[in-house]
Amino acid sequence: MKISLNWIKEFVDLSDISTQNIISKLTMSGLEVEDVIDQTNLYKNFIVGFVKEIEKHPNADKLTICKVFDGKDDLQVICGAANVKAGQKVVFAPIGTEIPNGKFLIKKAKIRGVESYGMICAEDELLLSNDHSGIMVLDEKLDSGKSITEALNLNDVILDIAITPNRPDALSHIGVARDLAALFDRDLKIPKIKLTESEEIIQNLAAVEISDPVNCPRYIAKVVKDVRIKESPKWLKDKLEKIGLRPRNNIVDITNLILHECGQPLHAFDLDKLNNQKIVVKSTKSETTFATLDSKERKLPLNTLMICDGKREVAIAGVMGGENSEITESTKNILIESAYFHPSSIRKTSKALGLSTDASYRFERGTDPNITKYAAERCAQLISELADGKVAKGIIDVYPKVINPKEIELRFSRTTQILGYEVIPEKIKNILSRLGLAIKVLEDDKLLVSIPTFRPDIEREIDLIEEIARINGYDNIPTVSKINITLEQKTDETEVDEKIRQTATALGFYEMINNPLQSEEDAALTGNPIKIQNPLSADMECLRTSLLSGALITISKNIRQGVKDLKLFEIGDSFTKTADGEIESFNDFNEKQNLLFVITGNTTSKTWNSEENKSDFYDLKGLVDSFLSKISLDNVLIDSYYSAANVIYDYYLTKNFKEVVLGSGGKLQNEVLKQFDINQDVYGFEFDLTALKSIESKPKSYKEPLKYPKIIRDFAFVLDKSVKYLDVKEFIKKKSSALLKVISVFDVFESESLGVDKKSLAFTLEYFDENRTLTEDEVERDFNNLIILITKEFNAQLRGK
Amino acid sequence: MLDKNITEIKESFYSDIKSVSSIKDVEDIRIKYFSRNGLVSQLFEELKDVVKEEKPILGKKLNLLRNEVTAYFEEVKDRISSSGLNKENKLDLTLPGSEYIVGSKHILTQTLDEIKSIFKGLGFSVANGPELESDYYNFESLNFPADHPARDMQDTFFVSKDFLLRTHTTPVQIRIMEKQTPPVRAIMPGRVYRNEAVSARSYCMFHQVDGIYVDTDVTFAELKGTLVSFAKQFYGSDLKYRFRPSFFPFTEPSAEMDITCYLCHGKGCKICKNSGWLEILGCGMVDPNVFKFVNYDSERYTGYAFGMGIERIALLKYGITDIRIFFDNDLRFLKQF
Ligand SMILES: [Zn+2]
Repeated sequence: MKISLNWIKEFVDLSDISTQNIISKLTMSGLEVEDVIDQTNLYKNFIVGFVKEIEKHPNADKLTICKVFDGKDDLQVICGAANVKAGQKVVFAPIGTEIPNGKFLIKKAKIRGVESYGMICAEDELLLSNDHSGIMVLDEKLDSGKSITEALNLNDVILDIAITPNRPDALSHIGVARDLAALFDRDLKIPKIKLTESEEIIQNLAAVEISDPVNCPRYIAKVVKDVRIKESPKWLKDKLEKIGLRPRNNIVDITNLILHECGQPLHAFDLDKLNNQKIVVKSTKSETTFATLDSKERKLPLNTLMICDGKREVAIAGVMGGENSEITESTKNILIESAYFHPSSIRKTSKALGLSTDASYRFERGTDPNITKYAAERCAQLISELADGKVAKGIIDVYPKVINPKEIELRFSRTTQILGYEVIPEKIKNILSRLGLAIKVLEDDKLLVSIPTFRPDIEREIDLIEEIARINGYDNIPTVSKINITLEQKTDETEVDEKIRQTATALGFYEMINNPLQSEEDAALTGNPIKIQNPLSADMECLRTSLLSGALITISKNIRQGVKDLKLFEIGDSFTKTADGEIESFNDFNEKQNLLFVITGNTTSKTWNSEENKSDFYDLKGLVDSFLSKISLDNVLIDSYYSAANVIYDYYLTKNFKEVVLGSGGKLQNEVLKQFDINQDVYGFEFDLTALKSIESKPKSYKEPLKYPKIIRDFAFVLDKSVKYLDVKEFIKKKSSALLKVISVFDVFESESLGVDKKSLAFTLEYFDENRTLTEDEVERDFNNLIILITKEFNAQLRGK
Repeated sequence: MLDKNITEIKESFYSDIKSVSSIKDVEDIRIKYFSRNGLVSQLFEELKDVVKEEKPILGKKLNLLRNEVTAYFEEVKDRISSSGLNKENKLDLTLPGSEYIVGSKHILTQTLDEIKSIFKGLGFSVANGPELESDYYNFESLNFPADHPARDMQDTFFVSKDFLLRTHTTPVQIRIMEKQTPPVRAIMPGRVYRNEAVSARSYCMFHQVDGIYVDTDVTFAELKGTLVSFAKQFYGSDLKYRFRPSFFPFTEPSAEMDITCYLCHGKGCKICKNSGWLEILGCGMVDPNVFKFVNYDSERYTGYAFGMGIERIALLKYGITDIRIFFDNDLRFLKQF
């Protein structure tokens, strides 16, 4: 919201206070100043120039060579504007001036071969408006060389203040002035009403009826007759322009002035266009359309609060007036509306119409029901002064249920309890009074505070404590240097995640964070996705059902960047619908934490001392197993292997705990990869981390290193290709003596020399005992026995012996 | 004369051989003392000029010297050559080392780790909560009435009338307080969503850390002390800070904490929008209305709460200018941290 400091100073005397101090006090009391335009500083170099002569630029049609008198000398200046003429007084920027729009410096320049010693300015270059249609032409009576800050009264400071939604009272100059009055401990001066009324009684000219008093608790009308619609005087136009408003005519400008002065939105109707000279406030009973004064047809939903006349709608209450009753040049008689509408009613309308106006913005945050009369009278007064109108006698004030100030008790002790320091009672009383709150001392520790209706945000004791804290300054609240830490047990629900991340990175994985919002096609890949009702775009309309599709998007993007070798992991939530229809409870969907590993490309790349090594299923399996062993779940989970494809994988394995699948992964199907424009192999493994975390890992305990020597034997067999390594291993385990402790495979190969559909598997067997040295004999016996059994069981042939 | 020279050369030999460490040093010594024109040979030359009577004694002395130093020289020579210190190796040591890849946590995770460890040190627990939340936890119980303009502060993605993607991690405060009686002291990191157009400066999803402390006698002064301690540990102990009144429905009084812009040191720059200050977190005293929802007695207990955005912190800390880069997962970016 733009605020003019000169305007503020009409209501509170700040003449002895620096602009910097005002800005910092505002920001530090909760009215954050986001931008400052200090005109005096901004325009300090600009002067009034006199265009003595002009001639065409010899080398450019659109340029003019002007002789500009700056009060001392004649300067040659090139101007590009079409409206420049000899005899004009203009805004002249001499060499060395910084132009506010774009912040560039005027230097001596040669333009198409002709020298130029300054610039003649347009309004937009000075940030006075967006107008760039031509240079600004000034009053010819102004003295050449005079500073424009003086000549044009550009000596204001314009503040852009961010007003938080809880402070509707600060959405006006008087509102901001009231805070400043409290901050600097000064009086607030509100303009007095000086109204001359005619003999004609308002009740004979108009009538008001509220048929929806819940949404319109108060409606005031004031009538002014025989007005002359014309341009506003300069001071009024200046005031509005400085805060970014475009002047229209005297009536509209006056209502805008009052809105920005005291925060009450007003609307002026052409009284003669109101059927039966009557106002009825009611809500729509059917869907209709309505033409607002911006010449747009608006669709009105059911129960939209409307201002009607005797026959039809004439305005959308609190939002915008209608075309059918607006003020035009021929308007003679005016009805001024000054009403209080219920905030949520206006908010609903504004949201439904997608239309936010200065008026609706204030109504939906909460205006003051009890300033309506003042605002209407001030408006009538200004109209009579600036539009020669005759104010009808009296006022129409429909206010069925008067809204009175709330009363709240404030304890000084509670203030200290919340803030951690004592603000002395006298100071508290002063702050509250300066803010316009009426106080009464109840007891030593207690005040009764009456909250005026312009502060709807102050509802409780705590709200008063905030007022005290912010006006007295948060800087005055001490910063403790000691805190108590209780010895109760601390928990960290992210601890396991951290351990997992550490393990994954140690295994060479980089962590990704993908957007859980994705297209329906991608999300549907791994489950029944939940749709966003109001998505930003179609490619973000669903929540992911697993981490896989996000990872594939990332892989695809990286490959396009030329990065083809990737080892990535992610920890994140996935979401699936578990019931049909609308989500009405936490039982209708499942949010769980997942963990995904993906690898693609080479595990080692070709370098001077290593060959490139394409990642494969066994890399994935090995990484997943190392990961599980590092988090102590290696002997808890059981593998299942699937050689046939499912929707995602060509072949895969699962990790199970008591029949429950906790994770699965394998080689991704080409069909799936194609969906993401990936044409290299990708291996992925995804865990249900929520479930994985619920399993207790085996506690670690120390095992002494072996004291007695091991005896190691190996053998290799030629077997049918279909025989699985794991089956042979399990068979050996079952049939061997208890002295055989480790069985591992050290070679696998297939060759025509072995025979059709044959392969060779070679095993290393480690025999040992923790308590004694083994004899060669007992090992040899077991070893030979195994050879016989394996040969028989698997129709195998011992190799090499 | 010769007698004196014998003593000198003996001393010089032992001093030279002390610093021998390579075959080349050994060779230098051989040349200096034992070559044809070496110092020892020169002594024998000098013996020729010695008067007859002294010849046998000095000759004997000279022979003793030669035997002694030669033996010691051979010993040192053997030791040096067998120690391997000097074996010439044919490896080109300048070739690059083999590649070993250690992955890394995402920079946002690393930033969060740092924040977590500071608050854990201040006695906070760490808690999680769901991202798909109910309107009740995300808004209503946090004192955002329906149809209140405060809801406009957080553009929301809805999945149904009553369920939405949480717009802040603050709902976890309610979840903790529902489960626990005071004292409650915890931070709640997590992912949040806002229905805002994606640009260099904003993304539809980001991360926050919320925190809460409720007990008897918790004051605004303690809120200030705790957050100042955090900021000094995280941003550096010499920072300047300020607390500015602000508005959040779930705290009253509310504040925003600014620190001096560490890029321009308070002079004003593009990053701090010429104010010299950077806003780093929002905070305040827990609103009594919030306590009502979790059945805490607000006369007995008071508390403070705070929240900060992790992306914003990381952007500033690492000079990143486009928030989207966090979620692109370009390996060339991930590898840098
Ligand atoms: Zn800065």
